[in-house]
Amino acid sequence: MEYQIEEKSAPGRDKVEVLGATFEKGKPEGEEMGRWCQKLGSREEKLKYLRTALRYWYSKDWFGSEKRKTPA
Amino acid sequence: MAEEKEAKSIDQATVDMIEKATQDGVRIVFERAEAIKPCPIGAEGSCCSLCAMGPCRVPMPKGKEETPEEKKKRTGVCGATAETIAARYFTRKIAAGAAAHGDHGRRVVEAFLLAARGESADFQVKDEQKLLQLALDLGVEIGDRSNNEIAIDIGEKLMEEFGKQEGELLFLKRAPLKRQEIWRKQGVAPRGIDREVVEIMHRTHMGVDQDYQNLLRQGTRAALADGWGGSMIATELQDILFGTPAPVLSQINLGVLKEDEVNFIIHGHEPHLAEMLAVAAQDPEMIEYAKSKGAKGINLAGMCCTANEILMRHGVPIAGNFLQQELAIVTGAVEAMVVDVQCIMQGLTEVASCYHTKIITTDPRARIEGATHMEFDERNAMASAKAILRAVIDNYPNRGKNVRIPSHKTDLIAGFSHETINYLLGGLFRASYRPLNENIINGRIRGVAGVVGCNNVRVTHDDIHVTLVKELIKNDVLVLETGCAAMACAKAGLMVPEAAKEYAGEGLASVCEAVGIPPVLHLGACIDNSRILMAATAMVKDGGLGDDISDLPAAGAAPEWMSEKAISIGEYFVASGVYTVFGVNWPTIGSKEVTDYLFKDYEEKYGGMWAFEPDPLKMAQLMIAHIDKKRKALGIDKARERILYDMAMRRELEAV
Repeated sequence: MEYQIEEKSAPGRDKVEVLGATFEKGKPEGEEMGRWCQKLGSREEKLKYLRTALRYWYSKDWFGSEKRKTPA
Repeated sequence: MAEEKEAKSIDQATVDMIEKATQDGVRIVFERAEAIKPCPIGAEGSCCSLCAMGPCRVPMPKGKEETPEEKKKRTGVCGATAETIAARYFTRKIAAGAAAHGDHGRRVVEAFLLAARGESADFQVKDEQKLLQLALDLGVEIGDRSNNEIAIDIGEKLMEEFGKQEGELLFLKRAPLKRQEIWRKQGVAPRGIDREVVEIMHRTHMGVDQDYQNLLRQGTRAALADGWGGSMIATELQDILFGTPAPVLSQINLGVLKEDEVNFIIHGHEPHLAEMLAVAAQDPEMIEYAKSKGAKGINLAGMCCTANEILMRHGVPIAGNFLQQELAIVTGAVEAMVVDVQCIMQGLTEVASCYHTKIITTDPRARIEGATHMEFDERNAMASAKAILRAVIDNYPNRGKNVRIPSHKTDLIAGFSHETINYLLGGLFRASYRPLNENIINGRIRGVAGVVGCNNVRVTHDDIHVTLVKELIKNDVLVLETGCAAMACAKAGLMVPEAAKEYAGEGLASVCEAVGIPPVLHLGACIDNSRILMAATAMVKDGGLGDDISDLPAAGAAPEWMSEKAISIGEYFVASGVYTVFGVNWPTIGSKEVTDYLFKDYEEKYGGMWAFEPDPLKMAQLMIAHIDKKRKALGIDKARERILYDMAMRRELEAV
């Protein structure tokens, strides 16, 4: 995904760059309506998503309520 | 006073078409059910027909307590007790259900490997994300390899799961860690999908396993080989081939049929052909061909779980659920019903003979006398689908004048895979089950229920499903559904976001409104109950609701169950830690010991147990009481005072 950078004025400073909105404008229609997986373009992005969003299974850092010394 | 007759359905389209069938003199399931009553001895699991010395009937005495001496005499000629007979009956049902899902899974792996090896031009890896997910699960190297190279390794590994003789099924590792420990401790971790089914058939043969607890243990093992094996393999590989479902708007009920178009219905459970037909029906060449026959277009609709598959992925409308299959033909507007496997009534051909409808069987494992057989060739999938579609279109000019399509159809939103629920709850950058867990902990959502299963002509069609689910959501229970249960609730208008405001309790409605989801989520076909297992596992792993599925404030139900697959599904839910209630009847009532074992002792072993309750409101009460029991055990049954700790208080804590 390409991030949008917006310039905003901030108190005490002239202009600062902030991350813009990440939502997509408009309303999806037809076959693509509701689909979200295609927002992940490259294989790297897909793997990253798996390790973060589906961390329950695919992240080595994630233990959740299952943190334990001895694996089952 | 005249006896009040029980309504056949709560669905007006169904009622209208039953009336038309009567007018047309067509014999359908509702009439056949009046002519043949269920055998009361078979229904309670008290009939053994395993050898030629019987069948032996050992029914529980009615209206009086049995003395120990009478109980001792209540055996088959070989001496098999009512317990052994009931347990064998129940376990064989699991074997049949697990075999059905397992064989479905195997066929998916075959198609998947054809696609990966480039031997089927029309099937290909559509969902790379899910492919990578499976590669991580199965330890398949990703690197810079092509999708097809990865897919071949995945397909070969999963194909081995069917014939594996030792070890454990690979997907068991997806379950919560504590659950895996329970399975190992109880000796029910399945080794291979086929092996567990075959072993049941051996152990229930005359004169083998005659200890009901040991029989049921093997039943559990086979059921787990279904839920965490055959079913899960089918769901995952179908997602890779055809896409992981995402929310999609569609319509349901017989009103989706069109008067001026070629109507054809795809019915059964396996999506391969249906996927091809969905594409073929949009092909301009096929549409032109339909127009050349006088139709304005081609209208594909689904029935039963094949319908759920193409609804979830393409939004193809659904004509109805299990008990509506003959009624679709009774409209007189269906050119053909194209069937694959499972839940296809043999009565279809007799009904079709009264109209112009063709019944087209497509699978070598499921042929029906009187039907036209056009085998689906997965190597030439599209050509095969188009040949079938041409035959359907050719039948359009034969449509008669006796056409009546009910106007009833309802909007629904389907497509809630467990990955999509995760995304919807948290968004692309913070996808998470946390909001769900938080809202369960804070009490806005009381708990989660999985309501699944069939229709059964012995109860009012759709009534038990809809009454139960309305009661659950009214009490702030979020409902996840699959199969014909999902279709019943969709027809009742429960699968649109607006339903939350109308039917759900205040807490659940507020969460549904914030997330933008209906209070009843459609997760797919009956094979996709594996998605519910994954959603429950994600809830456990996210934290705050215990460390096992049995700790969750959750319950399951199959209120109008009919098929042996439902028993297998129920057993793997129970063995995964879910309290599961079935309606209609219960197949081990003939043995108090076996029934008590399933209904009570199972809880100690597996954390989940069975229950039976035909009344939907009482069923809801049982499920809600269980959810409340779990909330209490987690300590989230009461609102807690929130204290903000200052530094001094924190230091005090650290000192302790």
